[in-house]
Amino acid sequence: MTIIKKFDPVEEKSIRLPKKYIVLVVFSFFILTIINIWASNTVVSYGDKFENLSNMSRKLQTENQVLQNQIAKNISLNNVASKSAELGFLKTESIQYIR
Amino acid sequence: MRIIWIKIFFLLFFLAISVRLFYWQVIRAPFLQAQAEDQHFTDAKVSALRGNIYFTDYAILASSNPSYSLFANPKILSDKQKVDFSYRLAKILSEDGNVDDLAKGFIASLSKDLYWVSLRKNIVFEKKKQIEDLNVAGIGFDQTNTRFYPEGSSSAHLLGFVGMDGKGENKGYFGLEGYYDGELKGTSGLIRHEKDAMGLPILIGNFETTEARNGKDLVLNIDRSVQYIVEQSLKSGIEKYGAKAASAVVMDPKTGAILALASYPSYDPQKYFNFPKEFYKNSVVADQYEPGSTFKVLVMASAINEDLLKPDTKCDICSGSVSLGGFDIRTWDNKYYPDSTMKDVIVHSDNTGMVFTAKKLGLDKFYSYVSNFGFGSSTNVDLQDESSPDIRPKKSWKEIDLATASFGQGIAVTPIQMVSAVSVIANGGFLMEPHVVKTIKDNSNFYEIKPKIIRQVLKKSTTNTIKEMMVAAVDEGEAKFFKVKGFKVAGKTGTAQIPVAGHYDSAHTIASFVGFAPADDPKFVVLVRYDEPKASIYGAETAAPTFFDIAKELFSYYKIAPSE
Repeated sequence: MTIIKKFDPVEEKSIRLPKKYIVLVVFSFFILTIINIWASNTVVSYGDKFENLSNMSRKLQTENQVLQNQIAKNISLNNVASKSAELGFLKTESIQYIR
Repeated sequence: MRIIWIKIFFLLFFLAISVRLFYWQVIRAPFLQAQAEDQHFTDAKVSALRGNIYFTDYAILASSNPSYSLFANPKILSDKQKVDFSYRLAKILSEDGNVDDLAKGFIASLSKDLYWVSLRKNIVFEKKKQIEDLNVAGIGFDQTNTRFYPEGSSSAHLLGFVGMDGKGENKGYFGLEGYYDGELKGTSGLIRHEKDAMGLPILIGNFETTEARNGKDLVLNIDRSVQYIVEQSLKSGIEKYGAKAASAVVMDPKTGAILALASYPSYDPQKYFNFPKEFYKNSVVADQYEPGSTFKVLVMASAINEDLLKPDTKCDICSGSVSLGGFDIRTWDNKYYPDSTMKDVIVHSDNTGMVFTAKKLGLDKFYSYVSNFGFGSSTNVDLQDESSPDIRPKKSWKEIDLATASFGQGIAVTPIQMVSAVSVIANGGFLMEPHVVKTIKDNSNFYEIKPKIIRQVLKKSTTNTIKEMMVAAVDEGEAKFFKVKGFKVAGKTGTAQIPVAGHYDSAHTIASFVGFAPADDPKFVVLVRYDEPKASIYGAETAAPTFFDIAKELFSYYKIAPSE
């Protein structure tokens, strides 16, 4: 007797992700996209602030340089000698050394 | 058949598109990329600041000051605003009170049919702030840096000045600005960043920077107070003695450090263009002159070093004038001292005694010592315009040349060579390389220039002997009336006739004095020189008093107590 085994087609078991995970992933991508757009917009506008800070830094460095030069001019010996003369200081004529 | 033609048509069309794409994406790619970058990138040059120059106490001698060029956009301003702004601007910028003419000039510039006009250059920081406070739209400033000298025209010959080269870039000329131009000027940087439609930087975009490297700073050996003392003394002396020119240099004999250097006539390095070019030359390093009797101490030292003479050796030709090669060599005052010792020869500044000394030394040894003392070659001082007069080849020297050179005529030297040579006597026998700069520094590195011994020229015993002779020259010689009491000073006067049209003119002289103090442990060597003084032709009556004025101030400044 011939035994013919009947092969029933095996039903493929489909792997199905739960719906909620798919929704979560899509929603996450959506949120990340929104955040990316928001961050880019915000950072782009910082260019203005960056420019202002750079300008302020340059301005302060320049003012510092100008003030240093002003101090140097005020303590120059020609200026000190002139101011001393105005204030009545006199040049030492003789120095007495004491042993 | 129709299908084939359609296929051919599509193929040709496809090929045409491919060729065109190849043209734009490969052949023209660099051009398009450059255009895109131009639209999306902005380049900002970051200027490097020129390095500062400091005195030894770090007080500023030269630095950079911001300077602004004012520009405007005439298209933005209305006619009424142009007039109003021009008058307000003229009030701020006017230097001679002539506001109307200045304002009319501005109005003319603003009336041009342009988007950009330059209104004024070299505006200082304070005036720029006043202009900004006017709150006028359509104006802007370009910043540059100009050189600033807080001591004014002091130390002009030391510094040199900063002008422009052929490319319009800042460049140093003469003095330290010229010699150290490479170190001082620095390297400009570049900031390249992406910009948005408003021209503002995009922080998350591409950002390339090449940092600017500011120039290196120089710290000098120059002492601010000593420089001031020397300049004031020289300025007062040049007026008092009616000299055409004057110069002085102070050196530390032990290290070769230049403590002060001054030269007149001088100029303002900030406005160098208002002065004749002849004034730019630093006569201390660039001017040659015949040293006269100041040279005698070096010749005498050479003979003593060779053990040919001693201080008490007697001169057997000093009883009268000496005839040589058809020339008559006399003393400066026609006074003769028979049986003079070598010490007397220096004290009396006796030319006939020097002829005796030179004969004992001989041409070969004389020439060798002249070279060893540094004459005929550059001292390598770190100032741009140094020159060195040649010494004639030995084979061309005649007996009369040796004789006249022994008292400093017929031989040319520079003041820096002379003071370096005398420093040999002051420091125990060593020729030092003179240096103005002590250290070169930037943010991260610090380079100290150490004292350099060129060679030993004299024995210590020789220097001790010649020092005593120079002290005697000060105590008993023509300059004794100006000596500072209580201090042991070694020195020698010099009065050299100036050669004019092949002969010496006795009415025109270079009057000089070189000396060091305190003689036993010298702190400084000073050379003072007057060109053609009118009040008196003699060094003893012009350069010597100035030397002692300077020495007196230096004794006080360095807190040196009298030793006698």
